[in-house]
Amino acid sequence: MIIKVRYFGQLQEVTGKSEEHFELTLDTTASLRRFLKTLYPKLGTMNFKIAQDNKITSDSSPLKGQLIDLLPPFSGG
Amino acid sequence: MEIRYQRHIQLKEIGIEGQKKIRNSKVLVVGAGGLGCPAMQYLTASGIGTLGIIDPDVVTLTNLQRQILFKEKDLGRNKAQSAKKHLQKLNTEVTIQAFPFALTHENAAEIIGEFDLVIDGTDNFYTRYLISDQCVLLNKVMIYGALFKFEGQVAVFNYKNGPTYRCLFPLPPKIGEIPNCSEIGVLGVVPGIIGVYQATEALKVMLELGGILSGKLLTVNLLTHRNTVLDFDKNQQEIDKIKKQGKPIPIENQDCFLNFEVSLTQLSSKEKIKWIDVREEDELPRVTHLNPINYSTALDTLLESNKKIVAFCQTGMRSKIFVQKLKNKGIENCFSLKEGAAELKKWSQKSQV
Repeated sequence: MIIKVRYFGQLQEVTGKSEEHFELTLDTTASLRRFLKTLYPKLGTMNFKIAQDNKITSDSSPLKGQLIDLLPPFSGG
Repeated sequence: MEIRYQRHIQLKEIGIEGQKKIRNSKVLVVGAGGLGCPAMQYLTASGIGTLGIIDPDVVTLTNLQRQILFKEKDLGRNKAQSAKKHLQKLNTEVTIQAFPFALTHENAAEIIGEFDLVIDGTDNFYTRYLISDQCVLLNKVMIYGALFKFEGQVAVFNYKNGPTYRCLFPLPPKIGEIPNCSEIGVLGVVPGIIGVYQATEALKVMLELGGILSGKLLTVNLLTHRNTVLDFDKNQQEIDKIKKQGKPIPIENQDCFLNFEVSLTQLSSKEKIKWIDVREEDELPRVTHLNPINYSTALDTLLESNKKIVAFCQTGMRSKIFVQKLKNKGIENCFSLKEGAAELKKWSQKSQV
């Protein structure tokens, strides 16, 4: 399955990208999180939520979305 | 009222009834900064009934690049009080209350309790989780806004028992994980736009209009115009945790909120400092040559002082609590010494040589 992953906020700086495509088969969003952390070790310590097709899901959710957004909390005000 | 708010009243979605709803609303803005200023300007112009402004900080030169409510002559003045002065000129019909101190676990219930909805204009996670928890406990609506460089996030929490900030981000970031406060740059207009989004959501909540960002996170990127609305669910476990506790749960990451601690290495013996000894009189060693005043001294003398105030005790614990109390009373420029009296004595003797 081809998925599009979009990075928000500080995650763009960590990955050096605003978005990219992957062709992979993974069972859950937790697996996707592990995959991305291997690819970008700096993500390892970061706190972010994963949305699939515009819906923020838990890590135990099956990975079935084609548009994946990675969202860290923002702090500035 | 009819003429001043005519453009509101002309809208069939608002009308005279809607304008009355705005008029009866009480809004608390936590943080009179980049987000808070524009939100307050529009809310005041809109004719809300009561506006509360809470901020312990003073206006600094770097604020003026984006906090467009303030003028150069406000430099060094408390933000809540300066904001009140300007906003009152904009609309004398609005009751404006300035709280020139920090929102803390001690005062949050009392202050938030007086308002219907809270606009989160803070720049730190510690206060943001405090607002969220307190809004859950008091059943108040929280209008969240936060930013990172060219991007912003907006959401409405605890709206009609909807999801809260903890439902979205149950895990507070670890210390140093997310840069905040003055650590990052920001294009001046970004907080302006996000703050106006917050004011918009606040007005929609007052007017009971549709499309409120409850259970939805709006993300805005002003550089690319990649804007999205993401749905998220309520996490009843997170809400129950707060309700069971009966009070807000402080997060570990106090980031910039408690940056009033100061170490001897950050102080210069040449600085004019008013020292306060928070210990009892029989605790040794005494540090008499710094002429410390006793902590029981009337607050008025501290208020009049324009010197930097540094409180100390044996270990830096009691002084921290004492300084928090001073901050709550609106006393600026006060710090708690991280080290104890023994180290202070050594430091002061060394610097005398």
